[in-house]
Amino acid sequence: MAIVSIDRLSKQYVSGGDFAVREVSLAVADGEFMVLLGPSGCGKTSVLRMIAGLEPITSGTVSIDGRVMNQVPAKGRDIAMVFQSYALYPHMSVRDNLAFGLRRRNVSSSEVTRRVHEVAGRLGLLPLLDRKPHALSGGQRQRVALGRAIIRQPKVFLFDEPLSNLDAALRVGTRAEISRQQREIGTTTIYVTHDQAEAMTIGHRICIMNAGEVVQIGAPMEVYRNPANAFVARFLGNPPMNLLPAMLEPGGDHARVHLAGMMFDLQQWPIGRLRAQLNREVTLGIRPEDLYENLPASMPRLRVHVRAIEPLGAETILLLAAGEQHHELVARVGRETSFRIGEWRDIAFDLRAVHLFDASSGRAVSPPAA
Amino acid sequence: MRLWLSYVRRTPLLLFLLGYTVLTGGPFLWVASMSLRTTSEIFANPYGLPRHPHWSNFADAWIGSNYSIYFWNSSLAVVSAVAGVTVIGAMAAHCLARYRFRSRRTVRFVILSGLVLPPQMLILSLFQILLDYRLYDTLPGLSIVYIATQLAMTVYLLEGFFSQIPQDLFDAARMDGYSDFEIFWRITLPIGVPAIFTTVILNFVILWNEFLYAVVLMTSDDKRTLPLGIMHFMGDHQLDVAMLATGLMIAIIPVALIYACFSETMIRGMTAGAVR
Amino acid sequence: MPQSAMRIRLPRAVVSPGQSSVDVWQPSPFTLTLFLGPAVLIFVGFTAYPVLRTFYNSLYLVGPKGAATFVGLHNFSQVLQADPVFWTAVRNTAIFTLVGTPLDVFGGLLLALCLFAGVPFARSLRVIWFLPVLMSYVVVGIIWVWIYDYDWGALNLLLHAVGLGRLEHSWLGDPATALWAVMAAHLWKWLGFNMIVFLAALHALPSDVLGAAELDNCGWIAKSVYIIIPMLRPTLVNLLVLSFIGKMMIFDLVWIMTQGGPLWSTETVSTYVYKRAFDWNTFDLGYPSAIAVLWFIIIIAFVVVVSWLLRQRDRLEF
Repeated sequence: MAIVSIDRLSKQYVSGGDFAVREVSLAVADGEFMVLLGPSGCGKTSVLRMIAGLEPITSGTVSIDGRVMNQVPAKGRDIAMVFQSYALYPHMSVRDNLAFGLRRRNVSSSEVTRRVHEVAGRLGLLPLLDRKPHALSGGQRQRVALGRAIIRQPKVFLFDEPLSNLDAALRVGTRAEISRQQREIGTTTIYVTHDQAEAMTIGHRICIMNAGEVVQIGAPMEVYRNPANAFVARFLGNPPMNLLPAMLEPGGDHARVHLAGMMFDLQQWPIGRLRAQLNREVTLGIRPEDLYENLPASMPRLRVHVRAIEPLGAETILLLAAGEQHHELVARVGRETSFRIGEWRDIAFDLRAVHLFDASSGRAVSPPAA
Repeated sequence: MRLWLSYVRRTPLLLFLLGYTVLTGGPFLWVASMSLRTTSEIFANPYGLPRHPHWSNFADAWIGSNYSIYFWNSSLAVVSAVAGVTVIGAMAAHCLARYRFRSRRTVRFVILSGLVLPPQMLILSLFQILLDYRLYDTLPGLSIVYIATQLAMTVYLLEGFFSQIPQDLFDAARMDGYSDFEIFWRITLPIGVPAIFTTVILNFVILWNEFLYAVVLMTSDDKRTLPLGIMHFMGDHQLDVAMLATGLMIAIIPVALIYACFSETMIRGMTAGAVR
Repeated sequence: MPQSAMRIRLPRAVVSPGQSSVDVWQPSPFTLTLFLGPAVLIFVGFTAYPVLRTFYNSLYLVGPKGAATFVGLHNFSQVLQADPVFWTAVRNTAIFTLVGTPLDVFGGLLLALCLFAGVPFARSLRVIWFLPVLMSYVVVGIIWVWIYDYDWGALNLLLHAVGLGRLEHSWLGDPATALWAVMAAHLWKWLGFNMIVFLAALHALPSDVLGAAELDNCGWIAKSVYIIIPMLRPTLVNLLVLSFIGKMMIFDLVWIMTQGGPLWSTETVSTYVYKRAFDWNTFDLGYPSAIAVLWFIIIIAFVVVVSWLLRQRDRLEF
């Protein structure tokens, strides 16, 4: 129900010390589900807490619907938050936990009762209303935490890694539930997680952070296909993208890349765009799923040594080594493989799916015309 | 054969433990038994059991020897002091555990330094101070002093516990719009009940037994607390062993009752601070 | 969606310098006063001020009705140079502390180790062993006065019963034995405490380390000395310091059992302070204050030295 915008937000925990968050700017549209993704310590939780008003801001502003919220205390920002540990009041029943926030806001008691029932029904909590948190399972507690946020009918939802305390099976089900609720209710949501699979599936847009700064913002598939740098490239996708050192050379009207002792033509990459990188070291990225065992005719081959094979049932992960330097390569192939450990084999890779990154900065070199 | 040997090796240890248990618990049984006999019986046979339990001893002690007054004084002073230090200590502990402010470390250090302060540094000045404020030889005066002596320990125990309550609960309450005092009242206190309970029991036992401050700050007989009353009686009636024993039992029984109900809590509460 | 009827109150929280927003966990002056005020008031009025006043008093001769004459360090020099009773009290307290503390703490350690070896009923028995700790010194003192009684006390009767009748003594009446008799009573009260603390610490030791020692074929004694005791070091130091400070300040038990007699043989620094203040022919609070200050400095010096030593990570041999 609101537009959230963050302008050059910064946070120093110790005055004069390191910046936990450095000049982060972000705009979340009305009704959008924005995911803040990044490794531990990247500052995403600090940003969330500053938006919530739980953490003092060092510099920069947080605005909701155009109104600057820096001087407004947490309760005045009309935000509801779901904490990683759920933060359920242990001495209160589920009903009271749900009603706690409402009662404080001059909502009539009949309205409170009505809303409690509505939200409890929505989340399947009706039979649990009189239980205390310690008598609930992890998934149930999570739903109560969610309910407590929903019942407030706030302008913005904030989620702080709400699924990390759940086991894997429950996580998948609950994230679908959260996604569904958000779509139905339509509240602007900001969601923090370190799990890239979660980020890919749950959000409209992902904002990737690292070391206190924003690295890339975009829709999940877009960020996946066009990572802005090597960090993002490796962060999204499991198993992560393979990154290999290579050398770019001119070769007529297109560039050629010298990789693992072999030379490949990059037809899709007009040489004009790559001029700055010619005759320099680059990092070449190729995702495991873009390596093929069955050697399609159109694709170049790479000679690799098979190090390990991990059959996972639905697919097989191959751990390979390429070239004289034995660069590690991970490939993802079908249910069964003819590769055997210790063999020297050829593997094909899709040149159109190759990414190039500057060897020193990690920044993506202009991608081929889409 | 081996099992037998291990029993043999253990026998001295077991005997020793038995002996130690007798040594520790025996005297209390002895006092209990003496409290139900007459002095002449005791002198005839100090360690025998009461022939006919003289329950009237307790009535005599209560009424005739002023033990009821001493008991009442102790109760008044101790209960009010425990109530006071619990409230004051809990609020201070909550503030130190939850909030960030510049002087936090200093205040905490200063209040906790009271833990190692020798009473001798305080009693003489407190004597003067209470005299000046006309609180000398009054139960309210003693009560306030008791609050001061137990404050450091109470704040220490409660702050330790309160700081372990997950911050998320408080953040959630903040966002729900609760004020500072409401957060204390509705979250810290209900969740902190086990720790508060422990400090209440500990403070009660320590103050019930307290002797030094009472001796310095109280003089009139009708204001004496129980330990003082017993000492006074001891001074005047050294030979009335039965009455003394009865008096001791009056002092022992409240503590023993609390201990019987809450032994684990008390043991853990008093020893936890020393285990590292 | 309807807006909830919500009033945004003006923020009471404080904006501190260097922050460009409100900090909900920074207390407003009102909150600070509400929560810390009473505690600070009580502390200042009945702990901090009395301490300062004791220091002040020590430099004066404080007569009745508050008449105070400045004497500078005269009290201190008197105490240190011209007061044999003070030095007797110091000697007694020192013996009490230096002998009593190790007995207390290592006795508790030994008992705990024996129990840890696996004795039945340890958990239930410890309820009884803790009982003396909870009792007032009045109770403990009077019980032991009775035990030490020459005619019908348990100790003499026991000695007589086992044929050691010639060892019968007036334990509290003989200056040679009085201090040790009081020490024994004090030990009786506190041994259980130390034992239970050590037991708790022993149970908290990581069992895998002890298991590894078993596998290394350690004998029981070797295991205790080289592994267990070093791991208990923090608790041990804690208890030694607690016991030391407690014994340096001992008053209640001595006062109840002997009042410092017979013939100053059980006079401790704290009983002497009390006597000089309230039981002397001239009323002067300055002199005993000086004694209290001196003793306080010694105790603090000890605590500081021990903390410093620990920070140096010295190897304590025991």
